[in-house]
Formats: sequence, structure tokens, C-alpha cells
Amino acid sequence: MRDKRRSSRVKLAAPAACVMLAGCDGVQSTLSPAGPQAHHIARLFWAMTAGSGAILLAVILVTAIALFAPTRRRAFLADDAVVLAGGLIFPVVTLSALFVYGLILLGAGPGKTAAAPIGIEVAGERWWWRVIYRDGPSAVESANELRIPVGRAVEIELSSDNVIHSFWAPRLAGKLDMIPGRKTVLTLSAETAGVSRGQCAEYCGGAHALMAFNVVAMPQNEYDEWRLREFEPAQEPATQETREGKALFLSHGCGACHTIRGTPAAGRIGPDLTHVGGRISIGAAILATDEASLARWIKHNQDIKPGNLMPAFDIFNDSELLALSRYLASLR
Amino acid sequence: MAFAGKALLAVVGVALVLALAVLFFAWSGLYNVAASQPHWALTRWFLDFGLRRSVATHSAPITPPTLDDKDLVILGAGHFDGGCASCHGAPGGRSDPIVDRMLPEPPELNRAVSDWSAEQLFWIVKHGLKFTGMPAWVAQQRDDEVWSVVAFLRALPQMSEGQYRLFAIGDVEARPNDGAEIARNGMTMEALTRCVRCHRGDAQPRSALVPRLAGQSQAYVERALRDFAGGLRSSGIMEPIAVALDDAAIAALSAYYAGAPNLAPSAPPIESNADQIARGKQIATEGVPGSGVPACLVCHGDTRAPSFPKLDGQYAPYIVGQIELWKRGLRIKTGYGAIMGAIASRLTDEQARDVAAYFASVAARPAERPAPPSPPSPRRGRRAR
Repeated sequence: MRDKRRSSRVKLAAPAACVMLAGCDGVQSTLSPAGPQAHHIARLFWAMTAGSGAILLAVILVTAIALFAPTRRRAFLADDAVVLAGGLIFPVVTLSALFVYGLILLGAGPGKTAAAPIGIEVAGERWWWRVIYRDGPSAVESANELRIPVGRAVEIELSSDNVIHSFWAPRLAGKLDMIPGRKTVLTLSAETAGVSRGQCAEYCGGAHALMAFNVVAMPQNEYDEWRLREFEPAQEPATQETREGKALFLSHGCGACHTIRGTPAAGRIGPDLTHVGGRISIGAAILATDEASLARWIKHNQDIKPGNLMPAFDIFNDSELLALSRYLASLR
Repeated sequence: MAFAGKALLAVVGVALVLALAVLFFAWSGLYNVAASQPHWALTRWFLDFGLRRSVATHSAPITPPTLDDKDLVILGAGHFDGGCASCHGAPGGRSDPIVDRMLPEPPELNRAVSDWSAEQLFWIVKHGLKFTGMPAWVAQQRDDEVWSVVAFLRALPQMSEGQYRLFAIGDVEARPNDGAEIARNGMTMEALTRCVRCHRGDAQPRSALVPRLAGQSQAYVERALRDFAGGLRSSGIMEPIAVALDDAAIAALSAYYAGAPNLAPSAPPIESNADQIARGKQIATEGVPGSGVPACLVCHGDTRAPSFPKLDGQYAPYIVGQIELWKRGLRIKTGYGAIMGAIASRLTDEQARDVAAYFASVAARPAERPAPPSPPSPRRGRRAR
């Protein structure tokens, strides 16, 4: 009977453990690090897990001795030297060592990883990320997608002009708060090219849970090419339909909140859309960028991301909506 | 104990017999419901007493706003003439013999209105009266409109016939005088759908709570009328009118107003509000980036699609009133309304007044004309101008 119950518990526990472990893999996991900063964090995590596991076992062993061992065997536990060693010296030494190890590993204080700013600033908005690439005096904006070169440590400036957000790309670095009125600097680097995902890690209001972003790590030469293109104004529409889409964009107020460089649209309330078609996602990494999801976003964004600050534009007929979303998708 | 039990039984028995008797009387049909037969004096007193007490009790918690406002009075006058005067009469006669045979007979309001307080009038106009033929207000959430009728009713006893015609009909002299026209269309001065009664033609409306339509985008006027007719935009004044218009009439009316430009500002800038206008202009051209308010002119300026309204020269009190409606969630049922609703909710009351003062102070531009044929440029889409 007892055996049967135990086996049924195992049957229940095994899938649960699989689900939990599966959560540790993938594009947004701190346990599958893709850069040195994240490696440090993962290493610290495993070191702490192993250390605290060993300590837990030792405590269980000592408790068992105290409860079940014969009197003469457990007498040594009452010895002053044992109490002093186990209750005072061991915790002080262990915790101090952990503290120093943590400081060294995470590069606190002087002597941290040499990193260079590459002119990228990320500002937390409600509820999306304004990504600003600077090149001397000129700057262009993107949104919800951070592109960095592979293989070098880069410094990202973080800021916010509204509420506190927290920038967290778990595969690349630890989280760092974006505090209104201050600039904070985060160092991160990617070892291999690829996409990883990040998330706002500080509750910032209604749509906080849908405030994510992608980090795209690219080989240096591709990154340089991409960055040159990013500074270009938007492509002119090439087909009749996308020309119509552009006209609709300009005449229906979209430009009051969105910028498309090279057109009269110069709003700064919402994301810059100059190259929106070339980005992986829209709506802060919640929908893949394609015509269908752009159209859905324009018409139903309040259902997709309730409370976001863009009103739903349910004012276009099907062909207008198609023209508009084709135009936006063409802005690569 | 036994006595009390018997007495109770007797009382219940008598009550049951009485109830059955009343039911039998009603079933028999002997009571005459004919409006041609006046009530007995007792019935009349009882009904009147009950009605007055009900109105007094239900209107007790209401606090009236300022009603001594010419804009409110004129707006109320226009609606009264189209919606109420056919039963309640108006200065200058027009007693209708059909209405005279109603029971109860609708009171002639220029005399009867002084029997009621402002809050009692408000309650009656808003909720109507059961079994009297007095309907409730069409748009129950539009207390602002109901108050305009109350403001008018309070001013009515002192109003001369000429003044009434000016406020309610628009033009003292206007009347069809061609026999053939009267024969065909009747005395159309009284028609509910006579827009000029409130909006006038190319002249400015007399009430600043009534939007100026002269020179407005055709597509916008058309959309507004359809929204009213479809119950998507609630108004006790405009819904009944829009419902009475067919598609052809809506198209013709919006074309008429689009082609009747009136370029003068509704409230030319004066020195005392120069600061307010400057603040409003800032909002109109730049928005309020800190609170997510986009620049008004991107949708309401010269490059707008025709389905967005033009605001240049519009009355400031009208704009402020509409922003208030959006904030209260009363204009957000349509796609366009939902967009403006999100923006209006981010404007403070002061910003709304500033931006309204700005729009009132600028001269409207000539109505848009179809784009002249020109070599195709990349920007020329189907709806671009």
C-alpha cells in the first residue's frame, strides 16, 4: 500500500519536474547563458545550489544524529568547540567567501569587464522599449529590438522618463533597473550570433507582462552593415498598394505618434516605424512582424495588449487595412 | 387567542373578496377608458396628487447647474420647437385640435412651467411620465442636453413670440409663402429635420453649443449623421433627426454644408485670452508628449483624411462639451470615437479649454476640393489630397 502510494507520487513528480526543467531552457532562460555576464550568473547560481545543498545534507545528518543516535555517540554535539565551529565560524567563513566570490564573479567595484559604449540607449516606455542608436550627433530610434555585435562587451545606457522598469535579458546579463531621472549602464556581450528574449522585470503598470524585447546578436561585419541601413530613411513604397498604405498612414493621424523618417510623420509618443518591417516582432515582442499581425494590431491592439496607450484604429475597411499593413511590412 | 385568530381570518377574507371585486370590475370592461370622457373630479385629483408627489420625491436629490446661459437656452429652444412644441404649444399659438383631445391634455408650457422647480422639470424631461404620453429623453446619459431644455423652459414665460421664433426657428420672417410649395410640402418651418433651426446655413449658429457645419468635411458630416441614426453616438436632440433622414438626404445635406464655407473664426482672438490661445496652439501643433497627447492638427489639420472633422473656427464651448462627453465614455462606440476617447482622457479640463479656445480663434480654410489631376507622385493615394 505504502509502496503503491510512493510510486504514484513519483509518477506525478516526474512530469512536473520535466515541465520545470523545460522552463530552464530556451530564449529567455538564465540557465542557458549566451554571454560571459550570464555565464557568471549561472555559475554563481549552480555554486550556491550545490553549496546550500551540501549544507542542507549536513544539517539533516546532524539532526538525525541528535534524534536517533545513542547517547554516547551524540554527546559530542554539546561540545563547546563543535557549537562554536558549526554555529559561528562556519557560517561566517562560508557567507564571507560567498560574498567575495559573488563580488568578483559579477564584476562589482573596480576592475570589471572592459566594455565600450557603442552608442546604444534603451529607454523604458509604457509598455515597450525605445532603442536609440547614436552615431556622433545623429541618432535614430528603433523599438523592442536591441542589436549588438557578437564577441565584444558593450555598454547599454538605460533610462526611463515615466515609471521604474527593469531591463532583463536573462541569457546575456543580469537585470538592471531603469530609474526615472537617472541613467544606468549595463554591460552585456553575446558569444554567438542569434536571438534571445528579454522582459521587463519590474512591475510597471497594466501591460507590464506584455513588455518584452528581442536581442539580436550579429557578427561584427553584418552588424556594421545593418547599422548603416538603420540610419537610412524609410524605403519609398514601390507598389500602388503600398503607396496607398503610405497615404492612409499620413492622412489618418498615425504620424501624430509614430515617426517614419523620410515622411512628414514625426510623432514621438509611440515607436519609430521607419524600419518596422525589418524587426522581428511588434507590440513589444508579442506578435511576429508580418502583414496579418500588423493589421490585427492596428484594428484590435486593445484586445491583444489591453490598456496599451495606442487606441484601436477600427476605422479602415479591409482593403485599406491591407494596404496600410503591407506598407508597414515593406519598411525593412 | 381563538378570537384573534378568527378576526384575522375575517380580515383576510374581506380583503380577498375586495380584490376579486376589483379584478371582476376590470374584467367586466365597465370602466370607460375613453379620452373623450373626462375623469371624475376625485380620480383627477388623485392622479394629479400622485404625479406631483412622485415628481417632487424623485427630483429631490438633483442639483441644477447654472441655467442662466444664452447658449443653453437657444439649444433648448431649437429642440423644443422640433420635439415638444407639437404637443405643448409655443409662443404665437399653433394650438393643435388633435392634441387638445389628449387626456391628460399636455400643459401649455409657457403658462404651466412656473408650477415646477428646475430640478422637477429636469426629472420630467429626462424620465417622462407614465400614462400621460410624455416620453422619456432619448439619450438617458445626456443630462447636459436635458438641462438645455430646462434652461429654455425657465426662460420661456418671459419670451416674446418674435424672440421665440428667432431662437427656435432661426429666422423670424422665414415661412413658405408660395401656395404650391405649401400644398406640396406643408408648413415646413415646423419640420423636425430642418437643420437651420439650430445649425443655420452658412451663418454661425446662435448657440455656441451647436457645432458650425458650414465648410465641414462632407465625409465627416455624413458619418456623424449615420452614427446618430445608428445609435452609435447618443444624443436626444440629434438621434430623432438623423433617424428621419434617408441615405439620399444625408448625402445631400453633407454636400450642402461642405459647400457652404464660412471662414470667420467663431471667437476672434482678444487680448485677454492670448495666453490661453498660445497654450492651446502648443497642444494643437505639438501635443502634450508627457501625457501621451498627440498633436491635434495631425488628424484635424490640412493633411487629414476627410473623415476626420475640421476644427478651425469651431465654437469653443462645443469642443469643450464634446471632449467632456468623450471623457465620460459617451462617444466611444465607433472606431473614430474610440480613438478620440483615448486621447480626450489624457487631456486635463484646462488643456481642453485651452485647445478649444485656440481652434475657436483661427479662421477656417476654404472647404477641400477634389485634388486636381496632376502627375502621379508617390504620396498620391486614393484618399490623399
